[in-house]
Amino acid sequence: MNVIYCGVGGQGIVLMSNIVGEACARKGIHVVSGELHGLSQRSGSVIVHQRIGEGLSPLIPYGEADVILALEPMEALRYIYFLKPGGTVITNTRLIHHPYETENFVKGKIDKYITYEEIVENIRKSGAKLYEIDALKLAEEAGTALAQNVVLVGALTALPDFPIDKETMLEAVKASVPEKAVEANVRAFELGYKAVKELL
Amino acid sequence: MSLKEVLKEEPHTGYMLANEAIVRAALEADVKVAAFYPGSPQTEILDTFERVSHYRDDIVVEIAANEKVALETAAGAAFVGLRGFTSMKSVGGNVASDTLYSLAYTGVKGGLVVVIADDPYAHSSQSEQDGRWFGYTAYLPMLEPSNPQEAYEMVKKAFELSEKYGSVVLVRTTTRVNHQSGLVKVGKLERTPFDKLSWKENRRSYATVGSLARKFKAELLEKIAKMKEDPEFLALNRVEYFDGKEAKEVKPEEAKGIGVITSGVSYSYVLESLQKLGGEAYVLKLGVLNPIPEKLIGDFIEGLDKVVVVEELFPYIEGFVRQIAKERNPNLEIIGKKSGHFLEMLEYNVPIVIKVLAEVLGRELPFDYEGHFKRMWELAKLAPPRMPTFCAGCPHRATFWALRRAMGRPENYYLANDIGCYSMLALEHIGWTDSLLAMGASLGIAHGVQHSAQERVVALVGDSTFFHAALPGIVNAIRNNSKMTLIILDNAVTAMTGQQAHPGSPKKVNPYEKRIDIESVLRGLGVEKIVVIDSFQARKNIGKLREALKYDGLSVVISRGDCALYHFREYRRAGGKIVPYFVDKEACERAYNCIRDFGCPAIVIDETDLKAKILPEVCVGCGVCSQLCPHNAIHSTAILYGGEDKPYVTIEDYRELEQIMLRRGGQ
Repeated sequence: MNVIYCGVGGQGIVLMSNIVGEACARKGIHVVSGELHGLSQRSGSVIVHQRIGEGLSPLIPYGEADVILALEPMEALRYIYFLKPGGTVITNTRLIHHPYETENFVKGKIDKYITYEEIVENIRKSGAKLYEIDALKLAEEAGTALAQNVVLVGALTALPDFPIDKETMLEAVKASVPEKAVEANVRAFELGYKAVKELL
Repeated sequence: MSLKEVLKEEPHTGYMLANEAIVRAALEADVKVAAFYPGSPQTEILDTFERVSHYRDDIVVEIAANEKVALETAAGAAFVGLRGFTSMKSVGGNVASDTLYSLAYTGVKGGLVVVIADDPYAHSSQSEQDGRWFGYTAYLPMLEPSNPQEAYEMVKKAFELSEKYGSVVLVRTTTRVNHQSGLVKVGKLERTPFDKLSWKENRRSYATVGSLARKFKAELLEKIAKMKEDPEFLALNRVEYFDGKEAKEVKPEEAKGIGVITSGVSYSYVLESLQKLGGEAYVLKLGVLNPIPEKLIGDFIEGLDKVVVVEELFPYIEGFVRQIAKERNPNLEIIGKKSGHFLEMLEYNVPIVIKVLAEVLGRELPFDYEGHFKRMWELAKLAPPRMPTFCAGCPHRATFWALRRAMGRPENYYLANDIGCYSMLALEHIGWTDSLLAMGASLGIAHGVQHSAQERVVALVGDSTFFHAALPGIVNAIRNNSKMTLIILDNAVTAMTGQQAHPGSPKKVNPYEKRIDIESVLRGLGVEKIVVIDSFQARKNIGKLREALKYDGLSVVISRGDCALYHFREYRRAGGKIVPYFVDKEACERAYNCIRDFGCPAIVIDETDLKAKILPEVCVGCGVCSQLCPHNAIHSTAILYGGEDKPYVTIEDYRELEQIMLRRGGQ
């Protein structure tokens, strides 16, 4: 399975792929990930490619991702060309507006922010199966807004063709987050998992 | 990051970043002295080593002033007989190269391995420099891995080869290898205690000049000639036959028909492309970039009709192949960059490589990658661009806001930028920079410009860059009575690469480190006009900056303000909580001063009333925006709890606020 993880610098995108990578190590499943660190941390767009089970190179070819897992909807749309025709997009529902967009707004270059509906309409037009998750709400329910990324990892695990079982994924979550945050992250994972199961 | 995978002593298989696998390999090789300067895409090597050093006392890990000093530190250890290691980004290689070229001559005793990490596509670099030429032009062996497992194996092997030949061994990586994670099978971590050796017992000369240099050069040529024939080096290259499904190792002489020569991450693009095409081909995967295995390449191409050379950046391997083909197979059709099939710039990926291989193998593309990309791009381009920008609470944003106002008309100035987070001032949308070249280059460029342009010249430099490469430029400016304003952005850490320590930083890697004060350095050098400002007092700083800009001579402004990422991490650790600011909607008159030319990610427009709104989950409470508001509409949320209308960003201030809140019954 090919997965694109994306979002905005600082949202914990690499942690999502690290959890799945850790789970692969536990199950002895082949995995290759291509990450970008550095500049992209500064509120920039962040993307991680991950090939689970098959795929040799660290970059998923255009049109071959099975899933896009997005912590921010604009980022899901930005990388839609990686998704295979009819692939799955799981996206957080909250937009993060970049300061340039806000500047353009006050300078009169645009007359409104882009809306979630506009973004989602284009994601749908691509032919993608779409699962919308309010990760912030679920993460807060779990006890920490910081666990939005783990909510989405739970959501990913709930997909029928995801190749790793839930128990192994939970172990990987526990091994990957700070000790004092384990309980909240386990709850976050469960909530994300449940949310997608209900949408299936 | 999986530090525990790096530290676990038993052999195991773990999910690791190549940069972590490199650290594991160096540790298994019993490296004793490792020194670095941070720089993407190799910074995680330094970061991992630093964290390892907290758990082990059998290694010295330091952050050096620059890559040259880092290399010299590791080389000093290797002269005495201990194993040394350093890594650097492509352009860091330029800084270290002065010493590197001499080190090739002198050789080393203990193993010395140097990773040079290139950045095709210039993701986070000022150029797409190709570091492979360092190996070739310095007569130094150079290896290239294509994935984390190979990175681990090659770095380990590099230490053995380094001691076998008494030579530095270079390992070249690219961003897509450094930042590739995967399952890595590692060996047992067995290390010896850190014991100093006797120089008396290990003494030999490492002096190279004149006749000594000529003697070394002759030895160097012999060494590199031996390496070319050495089975240990040759074993790092591999010839495979891909039968349409999988690859199996074959002898080079067996290759016929169509062949591919590749190395590094491109190897994975080649193999994946062949898999998708179901095509048959012989693949020579080079693990050694210098000395290039000429005989192996000759044997491989001799029976071929066509060879495709797949490598990013320079046609480095292709050049050798063309040369060797003249003698071994003059009729060989060579497909690469010179034939126009591949670009000499940007990164490659499967869609780029498969297109050429499909054409050469006469096979149909399994998928219309380009068409799909173009169709989807039409939908994707709706998403507004999201460039990296200054963080909420970043001191640079405040300094630049004040500088722009002090200048009045920025076009009346020349702005020489430098390398660091502040480089982002040059990016699209802000775009307010006249030049930006290399670490510390702003000083020399500014000096030349002040000789030649009528406008006042302003040079920018960060605190880490100050110590790394700006000092000679500053000395030169003082000596030559340069009329310019130098602004030193002192944010306490090497911010851009992940907030590492530097010589002026309060942060330390080792307890013995001393903190060097930038202001004292400048006073000692004889700078007469020094203005120190608090970056976050943006409005007050306008006048101070104006004064510095008007000074007839060299004026230096030190703008002090901690990096927000660093500061608030420490603040939170100490028990501080973020006290954000808010917009008083009654007072806001939509002047947008807090947004225009400021660009804080925490400030947005509330579409219900078109007034400014501060996102409490993003704001860190630095309070600079409140200074910009002409209608006094921005305040600290502390006033809602009985606190003062000021930033609560120090732990002392926060404790006071906590006391006030406690007295009020925790409201």
